Amino acid sequence: MHIPENYLSPSTCGVMGAVMVPVWLHAARRVRQTVPREKMPLLGVAAAFSFLAMMFNVPIPGGTTGHAVCGTLVAILFGPWAAVLAISIALAIQAVLFGDGGILALGANCFNMAFVLPMVGYGIYALVMRAFTSRSSAEKPQAREGRAQAPALELVAAGVGSYVGINAAALCAAIEFGIQPLLFSNAAGQALYCPYPLWVSVPAMLAGHLTVAGAAEAIFTVGILAYVRKTAPSFGIEGALAPADEATKTAPTASQAHAARASLAALLVALVVLTPLGLLATGDAWGEWATEDVAQSVGYTPAGMADGWEWQSLLPDYSLGGLPDWVGYVLSAVIGVALLVIAFRAIAAGMKSKVDFGTR
Amino acid sequence: MGRASDRTQLEEAEPAGDSLPSWLVEPEAYVPAADRDGFVQKSLLSLTGVLSRLRMDDGQSTSLSPSAPVKLACGLAVILMTSLSSNFAFTLVVLAGMLLRTAALPPKALRRVVGVSFTAAGVSALVMVPAVLLGQSQSALLMGTKVLVCVGTAMVVALSTPVHEVTGALRAFHVSNLVIMTLELALKSIVTLGKVATEVLCALDLRSVGKNRSKGTSMGGVGGVTFLKANEAARTTADAMRCRGFGGEYQAAPRGAHKPIDLAWLLALVAVGVLFAYLQGVA
Repeated sequence: MHIPENYLSPSTCGVMGAVMVPVWLHAARRVRQTVPREKMPLLGVAAAFSFLAMMFNVPIPGGTTGHAVCGTLVAILFGPWAAVLAISIALAIQAVLFGDGGILALGANCFNMAFVLPMVGYGIYALVMRAFTSRSSAEKPQAREGRAQAPALELVAAGVGSYVGINAAALCAAIEFGIQPLLFSNAAGQALYCPYPLWVSVPAMLAGHLTVAGAAEAIFTVGILAYVRKTAPSFGIEGALAPADEATKTAPTASQAHAARASLAALLVALVVLTPLGLLATGDAWGEWATEDVAQSVGYTPAGMADGWEWQSLLPDYSLGGLPDWVGYVLSAVIGVALLVIAFRAIAAGMKSKVDFGTR
Repeated sequence: MGRASDRTQLEEAEPAGDSLPSWLVEPEAYVPAADRDGFVQKSLLSLTGVLSRLRMDDGQSTSLSPSAPVKLACGLAVILMTSLSSNFAFTLVVLAGMLLRTAALPPKALRRVVGVSFTAAGVSALVMVPAVLLGQSQSALLMGTKVLVCVGTAMVVALSTPVHEVTGALRAFHVSNLVIMTLELALKSIVTLGKVATEVLCALDLRSVGKNRSKGTSMGGVGGVTFLKANEAARTTADAMRCRGFGGEYQAAPRGAHKPIDLAWLLALVAVGVLFAYLQGVA
């Protein structure tokens, strides 16, 4: 779903970037209000989960690949606006360092994966949670049973939300791809940028995401959420929708906090070590082909792609010249995760501590 | 209006209004005139910042940290290998290690490492802009990454090691006693004289109340007092050394025994060295 360089016209990229600027500003303001300073490094860890999830490519019938994003997961843990910021930073790191997604197309990629995905995913999650929570509280005799089922309900809501969220994001990406040949073509009728119109791009993108990639997103989201709720209940901010478990109400002791940190670190290390599994899925994701492949497929090279701008990234396609692919993949994962944690810890260090000196 | 209501409140709270003199009941409306003492505050803050950095190191050694000599050796070797490396893959491997260590630093140290190393990398990338325009963007990328790794590694070593341990570690490298002594004395003098300067600035700030023009001229006095104190301190140190039979040789006791974790760090350094040699061959 990472739109590469030169697949969208510069004007489309400009519009998407302009749309995202107020979204980023609002997200930054909301994060400053809602996420406490001590939780900011944990937001970096959540962004790292998303970064790693995007490295696990899964094969999609038809020869392409897809991946999870975990945007809904970050939204559930830290709120949707925090997810906008966290996933935007993860996408920026991917674009700048690894050439995954274009620099010019960063606004469009952030709109799809960092804005639409967490917002829709969180919205659906909230709807499911509210619908079932109000129903269980209305039936008072079963209230105790309902409370016991709260974690399961949250996981179901997260699964449904993440599935719908990633499909909404895929639909947006497909529309952005599909309008290019309709808006930008030369006198000969040849597309200047992405050559596939809406009636090709929408079914192609949604076919993969309604089946395999959507399932991968739901599995990643539910799996990580279940693990985090069990091993580190204080991870994330106290949301109104999270199940009111007694364990999360009280502040964790030092040993509990240490155990939570250790379990999160273990999950991150496990995901980093397992990232080379993403190499098993051969082929490119839909809409992420090299220019030569597009030319071979449609019979001509779109002019915008032939003369387009290319960014020289640090580790193109997560590979390292002279070393095996899996080493490049693991190294990219380590660099990406470390950068995200550093970025959010540096932001936290720069935030003013809020101490309430008011009367109690 | 507000003043009248305040007085009424006071009178209500204190029915026997005679117990307080009337001038004490009068609310104060003293607003001092805007003062031009920004330079005093700024000097105080920067001095205190330097002192706090020297006296309370930002980064503290953890249980996984090696002893200072090993840390210094690892840092120097990594910087040397990164500079000599002709294979970009090696630079990236070291970058990954440096970023991991930085991610685990305390917040203040992390901010300084990030600020300094990324600024240095940005400046070097800026210097390489002509190379990018001539189509050598790979060189600019290589240069920027190498600067980031080298400056970051140096900063991590410096910030995670207390200053006295660094001077102690220099003995392990057979650095001249005179150099170590000069370094230690200089650091101690910075702390002592910094304290003097802070006290004089504090005095200036407290005693010079209100708006006046003599504050600017007093800054020269702060420098003068610090200089005189430096002179006095140097003489006192020399006298003290003579009293203790100082024969021109500075005997620094070896500080901080080697830790078991040092072996793991040295093994990691050897592995990095082997990788360096292998990748140089590949390049």
